[in-house]
Amino acid sequence: MSNFKENNMGGDSLHGKCHDKKFAVINPTRMCQPMGAVQAMMGLKNAMPLIHGSQGCATYMRFQLIRHYREPIEVASTSLSEKTVIYGGELNLLKALKNISEKQNPEIIGVMSTCLTETIGDDVNGMIKKFKDVNIGKNLPAMVSIPTPSYAGSHVEGYDKAVLSLIKHFARKMIPNNKINIILGNLSPSNLAEIKNIMKDLNVEPILLTDASENLDAPLTEETLELHKFGTSLEELRDTANSNATISVTKHNDSGAKYLEKVFGVKSISGSMPIGIKNTDAFIKSISDAMNVSIPKKIIRDRGRLSDVLVDAHAYNYRRKVAIFGDVDMVIAMARFTHEMGMIVEVLCVGTESPRFKKDLNELIDDMNHKPIVLENKDLHDFGMVLESNPVDLIIGNAYGAQIANRFNIPLFRVGFPIFDRIGAQRISFIGYNGGIKFVDAITNTIIDFYYDEEGYKFADKKLSFDTQSFETHI
Amino acid sequence: MKEVSIGKNDIFEQKPMKSPTDPIIDTFKSRESHICVKSGNLSLPQCDTPGTPGTVTQRTCVFGGARIVLMPITDALHLVHGPIGCASCTWDIRGSKSSGSKLYRHGCSSDLTEKDIIFGGERKLYDSIIDLHKLHDPGAIFVYATCVSGVIGDDIKSVCKQAEKITGCRVIPVESEGFQHHNKTKGHWIGCDALLDHVIGTSVHENPTKYDINIVGEFNVAGDLWGIRPLLSYLGLNIITAITGDSKIDDISKAHYAKLNIVQCQKSSNYLAKKMEKKYDIPSLKVNFFGISSTINSITEIVEFFDDDEMKMKAEVLITNMTKNLDEELEEYRQRLKNKTVALYAGGNKSWSLVRSFEELGMEVILSGTKNGMKEDYERIMGVVKEGTVVVDDANSDELMKLLKKYNPDLLISGAKEKYIALKLKIGFCDFNHDRISAFAGFKGFLEFAKEVDAAVSTNVWDTVKTPNFFLKNDQNCKS
Repeated sequence: MSNFKENNMGGDSLHGKCHDKKFAVINPTRMCQPMGAVQAMMGLKNAMPLIHGSQGCATYMRFQLIRHYREPIEVASTSLSEKTVIYGGELNLLKALKNISEKQNPEIIGVMSTCLTETIGDDVNGMIKKFKDVNIGKNLPAMVSIPTPSYAGSHVEGYDKAVLSLIKHFARKMIPNNKINIILGNLSPSNLAEIKNIMKDLNVEPILLTDASENLDAPLTEETLELHKFGTSLEELRDTANSNATISVTKHNDSGAKYLEKVFGVKSISGSMPIGIKNTDAFIKSISDAMNVSIPKKIIRDRGRLSDVLVDAHAYNYRRKVAIFGDVDMVIAMARFTHEMGMIVEVLCVGTESPRFKKDLNELIDDMNHKPIVLENKDLHDFGMVLESNPVDLIIGNAYGAQIANRFNIPLFRVGFPIFDRIGAQRISFIGYNGGIKFVDAITNTIIDFYYDEEGYKFADKKLSFDTQSFETHI
Repeated sequence: MKEVSIGKNDIFEQKPMKSPTDPIIDTFKSRESHICVKSGNLSLPQCDTPGTPGTVTQRTCVFGGARIVLMPITDALHLVHGPIGCASCTWDIRGSKSSGSKLYRHGCSSDLTEKDIIFGGERKLYDSIIDLHKLHDPGAIFVYATCVSGVIGDDIKSVCKQAEKITGCRVIPVESEGFQHHNKTKGHWIGCDALLDHVIGTSVHENPTKYDINIVGEFNVAGDLWGIRPLLSYLGLNIITAITGDSKIDDISKAHYAKLNIVQCQKSSNYLAKKMEKKYDIPSLKVNFFGISSTINSITEIVEFFDDDEMKMKAEVLITNMTKNLDEELEEYRQRLKNKTVALYAGGNKSWSLVRSFEELGMEVILSGTKNGMKEDYERIMGVVKEGTVVVDDANSDELMKLLKKYNPDLLISGAKEKYIALKLKIGFCDFNHDRISAFAGFKGFLEFAKEVDAAVSTNVWDTVKTPNFFLKNDQNCKS
């Protein structure tokens, strides 16, 4: 008898289960490419994202970002309307570039395309060139075209394309800088801050792609309403070509790293998201190897503290069944961490499909000696259906999981994007040893709150009572 | 500010209206005429024009406008025919409550991908509709067109027709391509048209009475309808349905039996009431259940319409009892809120209808604006605000910030996108859109409203967060 479930539903049998829904997506777990690109733009200093499309694209994406981060968020729109769709969006884009250059005057304008402008065939690069040509000699912002057709891929690819476009546009070979590039993905400001802390501890100077740690968790000041004063700068983007290596902590966001490797010989390392013991160990090791630095006592003590809290919490978490949904790289790393905590990873659900996720999953299954039910390219409807016949103790995912958690009367531990029904989404931590400590504390307390009485006992009366009626009296 | 050119296209630039006085805030020349002061530079702000490209617009798209009108229908499914983003950014955001079915809270998409863009998405849409019908057997499936489904020319009308034949379920096309118009009000109308063409007038009402009414343009955000419904029921009125808050398809299909339509959100739904008047000869009455006197006036006007002695008597009893202790209960809040100033930047309707409500709290509206207002909206605003009030059309986030900084009101009433602009400026904020947490309608709702406004304006947090001089000096030292 092992942790293997007898009648476990592997990929194939699951398709049978969901046979009645082949086409429609109900309650999606992914967003579109421009959203991911905007998330990446949020981590730039003195930059303005511009969405070339209908007003709704910019507005609804801002709406989601604002209610998640609880910060004012600026995304400009080219405000296309019927006429511009017939004659092309050129005039609107040129006007937008002019207006942004004159008004906010940022250092960088990132132009995201949308399904609409890609379909009508707007040549954004050509339009940017035209704008530059008529303004020769003027000090214009750098304008980067980020092609993000919303009908392909998901927000994960959107982030990837934004980082790639920025690197392609800016990276220039100069003198080696002895820095390390880190491509992050859409992580909370607290998680980003923890990456920076680790780098400080290791005495390594990073270039973060991109660094929204200050911008999306800003103090109460008017300055927040202006262009972002923090984040990755244009100079840093330029300097990415001169770093020792690029580490992508979200594997699916490593196109920029691959480009730097191919064109400038900057080594690319695509690792797992540093969540939990094993993944953080691997992250620290790859930096230590790439930068040839030794690991300081501070980091060893942090690791020891995470080990300590895992031991403190183990009795509450052991064999608790958990279901996780969200972005590929987060889900797989979070699954490993909950396994490390002693939980049983029962169900995983991601909105996309990728061979790298499958590979990571197989590694995880080998280590766990247990095969979870995995939903790839699925939605929260499918997720709920699976939980119907495979009950779990806890769901980990974004705020959209609340309806499902409610249905099964189990707690939802909120991570990911968007989280609009609780405060502090900016400060959710799980990255590195220190983030891991906060995570274990919080998730264990969630379990105690839900499954134990107010004195901390496990509802002993129900567990210990027995029924004498069922006794066998002939002995 | 440096001048840049967009080449020969410059000649197409929209010619700004001349403003005789200094601009109210620093913004684009073409935008100056959209901001005015009552009895000041302009009689009305320029409005209903395409947005300025490159600004951070607070407006949304036609698809959003249609969706917002229809989303509260509780037993319907809402299928967005487009790439995933159109659905995943807009599902379950309406904040409208249901006393029954929760189907409307699902976010459905036909998930158009690259292949569908090339070969057309009609087949996938059809299959998606069949999927949804099999799974949930909804009262209706609304199918929304998006920018891309419009551009690739998918004929959602005929797909819906075909699917309706097969499933026997109402499958209703909503032709809401996002780019259609700069004004999302167009989307509201498209949503209303979907109801007029496919739902209203399609069933038989078994027991019609002469007191049957509809509450049009009430979306039950945070449960508003539940503050209005008991008032009207007490009067002896029989509410066939609200359109569309906490409603069911079956009820809306009988809406044509009403003897009167009362219209709460006139911005989105007057269109529907007017069309029903034309088609079914149902008169309509503009009402407003936000505020004490507005609620009393609305009740009085409804009673006058029915001209029924018993109802008149009941109305008197209702108003007397509901307002008896209200002043006493409001006293505490009025004391704290007296003479505080308010900026309104919400939907067209609220920008005028709330002015009187704030006066009832002893507060003064000093700024009012809308994102998609039309001439008649601004005329109504001008009719109710005091001299010197700033009236603004389609303010982008930069302009809103500048206006808030210049006029420094104690409170901003707006939606989620504007919330943190106010809070970062240390200006109180109260959500009156989808994200609000209390019902504000009716007499009891007004008390809730007073509490929320009080929490936003009177909280001691604004004192707590003041930075002591010591830190400011320190900051200067650092700089020097």
